Amino acid sequence: MDLFKKYGFIALIGTGVFVALIFYSLNVPRNREANFVERGAMTVFAPILKPAARLSGFFEDIWDGYINLVNVQRENLMLRDEIKELNARVVAGNEAVKSNQRLESLLEMKNTVNAPILTSMVVGEDVSSWFRTMIIDRGSTSGIRNGMAVVAADGVVGQIVKVAPSTSRVLLLSDHASGIAATIQRSRARGVVKGKGDGLCSLEFATREEDVKVGDIVVSSGVGGVFTKGLSIGEVTMVKRGEYGIFQTVTIRPAVNIAHLEEVLVVMRGGYE
Amino acid sequence: MSRRSALLLICAVVSAVVFQAAVLPIHLATPFKPDLLLIIMVFLALRGSFELGTPTAWLLGLLKDVFSGLYLGLNAFSFLLVFLVIKSVADRLYAESGFLFVVTVVVATLISATVNLLLLLMFTQTPGIVYSMIAGLIPHILVNSFAASLVALLPAFARDQDVA
Repeated sequence: MDLFKKYGFIALIGTGVFVALIFYSLNVPRNREANFVERGAMTVFAPILKPAARLSGFFEDIWDGYINLVNVQRENLMLRDEIKELNARVVAGNEAVKSNQRLESLLEMKNTVNAPILTSMVVGEDVSSWFRTMIIDRGSTSGIRNGMAVVAADGVVGQIVKVAPSTSRVLLLSDHASGIAATIQRSRARGVVKGKGDGLCSLEFATREEDVKVGDIVVSSGVGGVFTKGLSIGEVTMVKRGEYGIFQTVTIRPAVNIAHLEEVLVVMRGGYE
Repeated sequence: MSRRSALLLICAVVSAVVFQAAVLPIHLATPFKPDLLLIIMVFLALRGSFELGTPTAWLLGLLKDVFSGLYLGLNAFSFLLVFLVIKSVADRLYAESGFLFVVTVVVATLISATVNLLLLLMFTQTPGIVYSMIAGLIPHILVNSFAASLVALLPAFARDQDVA
C-alpha cells in the first residue's frame, strides 16, 4: 500500500500519457475521419459557434469600419485640401487668362490712340446713387491732369475731373454732367452725347433731318480735342422723332460696360491744371 | 467726446467710405447703395452733442462729396441742414429706440435728397438728374432703412448712450 502511495501518482501519469499516445497512434491512420469525440464536440458546439462567429464578424466589421473611417477621414481631409489648392489654381489660372485678354484688348486700343497712354486700375465708384464717377489709382504724380480722356478696350469711358496726388476721379460718359462731341459713324450726323444717369446716354442736338437709325455706331468726332476722332462711344438703341420740335430723341447704349471695368487707359494729352 | 468715442467714430467713418466706394459697388446694383455716412450723421444727431455734432455732420457731408459727384459742398450743406432739423427735435424723441432710428434715417434720406435736388437745379445745368434722383429715391430709402435697422441691431447702438 505504501508502495502504491509512493509510486501510484507517477504510474497514473505514465499510464495517462501512454493512453494518450495510444489514442493518438490509433487515430493517425484515420486522420481524415471524425471520430465520436470529434463529432460529439462539434455537435455540441455547433449552435454556439454560428452566432458567435456572426457576432465576432459583426465586431470585426465595426472595428474595420472604424479603422477605415479614420483612414477615410484622414484621406478626405487630405483630398479636400488638394481640391482647395487645385480650385485656387484653376481660379488663378482663369483670372490670369481673363486679365491677359483684357490687357491684350487694352493694348490694341493703346495702338489705335496716337498719344501717350497710362494704364490705370479702377479702385472705387461714386458713393451716391445719382452721380456716375469712379476712382482710379493714378493721380497727379503720374502726370494726370483734369480734362484728360479716359478710354477702355471697347471705347470711351469718360474724362478726368478731380485729380489728387495718387488717385483721380473719372466723370463717366453716363453722368448727367458729361458731354462728348460725337458723330454717327454711318451717316456722319453730329451731336453731343450726354449722360442720362441710368447707364444710358442720349445724342443731343441731332436735328430731325439727320439720318440716325437704331443700331448705328456712335463715335467721337474729335471736336473739342479731348477725345481722339473715331473712338467708339456706343450704339443707338432708340430713335424718336416727334411731330414738332427741331431735334430728335436718340438713346445710346455705351460701348463700354462700366459696371465691369477693372482697367482703363488715360490718354496723356491735353488737360488743364 | 471721449477718446474712445472719437476713435469709434473715425473707424466707422473710414469703414463706411471704404465700403461705399470700393466694396459695395462690386456686389450691389447702383440704386441699392446705402448711404452709410448719412446713417452715421443721423446717429450723431440723435445721440451726439450739438457743438461737436454740427461741424462733424458738415464734415461727413464734405467727405461724401469728395467721393461723389462733382459738386463739393452739396452733401455737406444737406447733411448740415438735416442734422440741424433732427437735432432740433431730438430732445423730444426717444433716441435709444431702434425703430425711431430707422424712421429718422428714412426722413433724413428724403430731406437730403430733396435739398440736393433743389441745389442741383438751382446751381447746375443738369436738368436730367431730376429723373434719376426721383427714380432712385425709393430704392435708396429702402436700402438706407435696411442698413439703419442693421445698425440698430449692433450692441454698440444700445450701449453708447452719448457719443459726443
